[in-house]
Amino acid sequence: MATETKKDTRTAQQAPTVTLTIDGQEVTVPKGTTVLEAALGMGIHVPTFCWHPKLKSVGACRMCYVEIEKMPKLAVSCATEAMDGMVVHTDSDLVKRGRKAVIEFILANHPLDCPTCDKGGECDLQDLTFKHGFDDSRYDFLKMRFTEGAVHTTFDDVRIGPEIILNRNRCILCYKCVRANKEAFGEYDLGAFERGNITEINAAPGREVSNPFSGNLVEICPVGALTNTDWRYKIRVWLTKQARSICPFTSSGTNTLLWKEDHQQKIFRCTSRRNDDIDDGWIADVTRYGWSYVMAEDRLQTPLVKKEGKQVPVSWEEAIDLVARRLTEIDDTKGNVCIGGLINPQLDNESLHAFNKFMRVTIGANNVDHRLDYPMLPAQGDTAYSILSSQPFSIADIDTSDVIVSFGSDMLKEHPNEYLRMRKAYMFRQAKVFTINPYAVKNADIASVDVVYAPGTDEIVVNAICLAAIEEKLVDAGRAAGLKDKIVPNSAAEAAETAGVELDDIKIIARSLADGKQVTFLVGELVARCAEREPIAAAIANLNRLFGLTDKGQVARLARYANSKGAEKLGLTPFPAPEVKAKLERIFGGWPENEALTTDKMLVQMNKEAINAGLVVGANPLLLYPDREFARECLERLDFLVVCDSFETETTAIADVVLPLASWAEYAGDYVNLEGRTQHAEAAIKPRFHSRPALEIIEQLARAMDKPLFESADERRREVAEVLAAQAVLPWPNDYFEVSFDNAAADSEYTIPVFVGDDPHHAGHLTEKSPSLSNFVSEAYVEMSIELAAKLDVKAGDSVRVESEAGKVIVPVKVSDYLDTDAVFLPRNFSSAQVNSLLMRKKRVNRVKITRVAD
Amino acid sequence: MKEIFKALGNVVIKMPQGFYVTFKHLFKKPVTLDYPRKKKPMAPRYRGKHYLERYDDGTERCVCCGLCAAACPADAIYMEPEETEKGERKARVYEINLLRCIFCGFCEEACPEEAIFLGQEYEFSADDRNKFIWTKEDMLVPHPRKDNPFKKILRRVRKVYGTPEATR
Repeated sequence: MATETKKDTRTAQQAPTVTLTIDGQEVTVPKGTTVLEAALGMGIHVPTFCWHPKLKSVGACRMCYVEIEKMPKLAVSCATEAMDGMVVHTDSDLVKRGRKAVIEFILANHPLDCPTCDKGGECDLQDLTFKHGFDDSRYDFLKMRFTEGAVHTTFDDVRIGPEIILNRNRCILCYKCVRANKEAFGEYDLGAFERGNITEINAAPGREVSNPFSGNLVEICPVGALTNTDWRYKIRVWLTKQARSICPFTSSGTNTLLWKEDHQQKIFRCTSRRNDDIDDGWIADVTRYGWSYVMAEDRLQTPLVKKEGKQVPVSWEEAIDLVARRLTEIDDTKGNVCIGGLINPQLDNESLHAFNKFMRVTIGANNVDHRLDYPMLPAQGDTAYSILSSQPFSIADIDTSDVIVSFGSDMLKEHPNEYLRMRKAYMFRQAKVFTINPYAVKNADIASVDVVYAPGTDEIVVNAICLAAIEEKLVDAGRAAGLKDKIVPNSAAEAAETAGVELDDIKIIARSLADGKQVTFLVGELVARCAEREPIAAAIANLNRLFGLTDKGQVARLARYANSKGAEKLGLTPFPAPEVKAKLERIFGGWPENEALTTDKMLVQMNKEAINAGLVVGANPLLLYPDREFARECLERLDFLVVCDSFETETTAIADVVLPLASWAEYAGDYVNLEGRTQHAEAAIKPRFHSRPALEIIEQLARAMDKPLFESADERRREVAEVLAAQAVLPWPNDYFEVSFDNAAADSEYTIPVFVGDDPHHAGHLTEKSPSLSNFVSEAYVEMSIELAAKLDVKAGDSVRVESEAGKVIVPVKVSDYLDTDAVFLPRNFSSAQVNSLLMRKKRVNRVKITRVAD
Repeated sequence: MKEIFKALGNVVIKMPQGFYVTFKHLFKKPVTLDYPRKKKPMAPRYRGKHYLERYDDGTERCVCCGLCAAACPADAIYMEPEETEKGERKARVYEINLLRCIFCGFCEEACPEEAIFLGQEYEFSADDRNKFIWTKEDMLVPHPRKDNPFKKILRRVRKVYGTPEATR
């Protein structure tokens, strides 16, 4: 419980301490710790309503009363700082009387509608009333009730957000939700209104509580004032069991609990499982509500096999036999190179490893990749980018950093958990935050400097920072020697002009990077997904070397998917890190000799009919690959395509064999989060319908081909553990990289740069099947700035045609005030509009034109 | 001759003696019932077949809070809640397994909404095990009962809130 303190342990050790006595036990705590935290740290139970370990104290509920000797009255322990020589009693008669009185006050206006309240059974007020309160009420008057339009209903419920229902009568005004919204999430869509008896928590006028972390507000509510619609009136909490799981949608691997019922084999909700190293107890809404795709009724139920142009349901045996037969046939007639395998990096370690072994041993092809959404992957192992990707990273270190730079990353959309960490560092430790992005992002409100550069000039911005540091003499000359000759342009001013940014901003960032004691430099998807990722990574490597960032902090490219890091570490790429490859070679007893093909090359080879069979596990390349037409053309040319997925998708529609895949909640598995931390997720329910986990499918396929993958489960686990243990961190080079740049001119007709990424409420192609998440956002949109909307003469909600050279989509407009350039954003993975059809894989910056659709 | 008289004496004297109890009961009121044509009146607090009450306006009292199921020592009650159009909580499924029920009446005591009561009915025989699972339709009274003999003493809550009917 020592981690209850909000102080960093590192500084706490040096900080002065105080010694006090609580219930007869002496305890020494760092100065600044509250009495409550000291007591909780000793394992003494002090009841609270309004206190939350990750928020500042307010002392609103008065439940945490303790008696402190020589103090005239009971003290509120959560707001009383521990002092030297304090003598605290947490269980004296006076304290008990105080608690009784507080409970009585709180219950004065609290309705006794526990039978209908969803919180019943897990309610703090219920529990503490049982423990500390009176068993009868002395209150003989009518209770205060809120009414809406003078109408009393039994419940007086108000829906204040897509997934949140508020009952103001039940609210005990602990302000936890308002504080969390403000302090932890930086959102202001919930507030307290009026005063005294009629104080109420409510959504800000005209707004709804729909921020990407809104589900946490429900979870921290100590009473049933805020409830979820997905849990509303479904089941009583005492009938459920919990499975400890991991978020499959974000890369941080936030710890979650899946609340399930064994007889019905149903999952009912997902809540957080606090892990201070990873998530602080906050989970994003996509994690909280995303699980419900598991319970969707339109999941694939049986294997489907294409017979005479139509997919018909068949038994598992028939499907597996057919796949094994066809793969052997193609292997024999055309060679093993002719089979390509793509796997979704959201699957667990053992599935990934089994797939790797299946492709590289059973089939003997070297064509394995998990990076389905990155265009133009290099034909050979890249250097700077691989080094950058392999760098170690710790989420908890963001907290203690004093300078945080997020480069090329829309943190809120891609990495909600790390976004909260940035916010925490800013809120509690006054860290300097810098955002450097080709379009304005929402976390810019905490940024000291928010740099929005011209799309396609990523490496120039990084170079500008390096040049500014050299020009301003912020780094010692010896270190800087040789860099200036290797990068373009020649001066910071020129670079800033090319990138379209203010030189002063660049100078401020350079100064902070040079002065910062602990620097976190985060590189996001906008770099990773860029076709020119290598020069950008080289520029970042230069920056790292110039400022010595790795020595005083961390530089990391954040992996995007739940097990991307695991896939990298397990060697599911054509070119694994040398040590990983050596280890795999030993396990596999050799390495396929043919040319290793990346996703791109595989698709190109499919197009040339050099690859005739494809295996796609858990992915939907047609919706994800950033060039839809190309991907479609290539996949359709395949003689034999096997797709494993949980739902019918565009890709399963063109497949020869479709195998129903179990979701992550239906089998136990290990996942490696973006820090490289392996975590275990328990199975919540059995696989629904006739779906099977990926591991099982792959093993059965191998067995049907008479080449079983593993002798035993032990062997499988040992292999995975061995590969994961291999050192995958590549060292930085001892010299600067050369970074050249050639500015591609924008063509005339298509002028608006377009960025495709994830919506904060939608990750992957599966969450679209979650009804709760669909309440937040159900279809693709085009997000643009107010100025651009005015220029195009469109309003929010209007349908527009977004056209590029490659294709077009028709989507509604969303106008966002934080955007301030002409760049537009479209969320991918919505089946309503396939925005990847706008992209061309060879283009660095895709540009579109937007026209209004006549009604 | 002597034997003849002895035998006659047995018939005339001993037989009525032997049938005395039988003949006596011929003229008494019988203790058995003419079941199933006639039924025994049960004690007012007899715990028989469950029924679910309604409010005076006809809506169901049960909000599916699950307390009866939690209190049930035989685990005989299964329920699933749902949301009504008005946003209220109500039972979508409410089942009691008669074969498990031990008629202890804990459900009645646990019920905070005064919705479930154990009534007078005791005839449950059926020819199929599935018929022993009573559903909500089987138990819900068709009309609100004005003269429910089991209405409990109104609790203190009512003084604060008014009657449950008034707060609806």
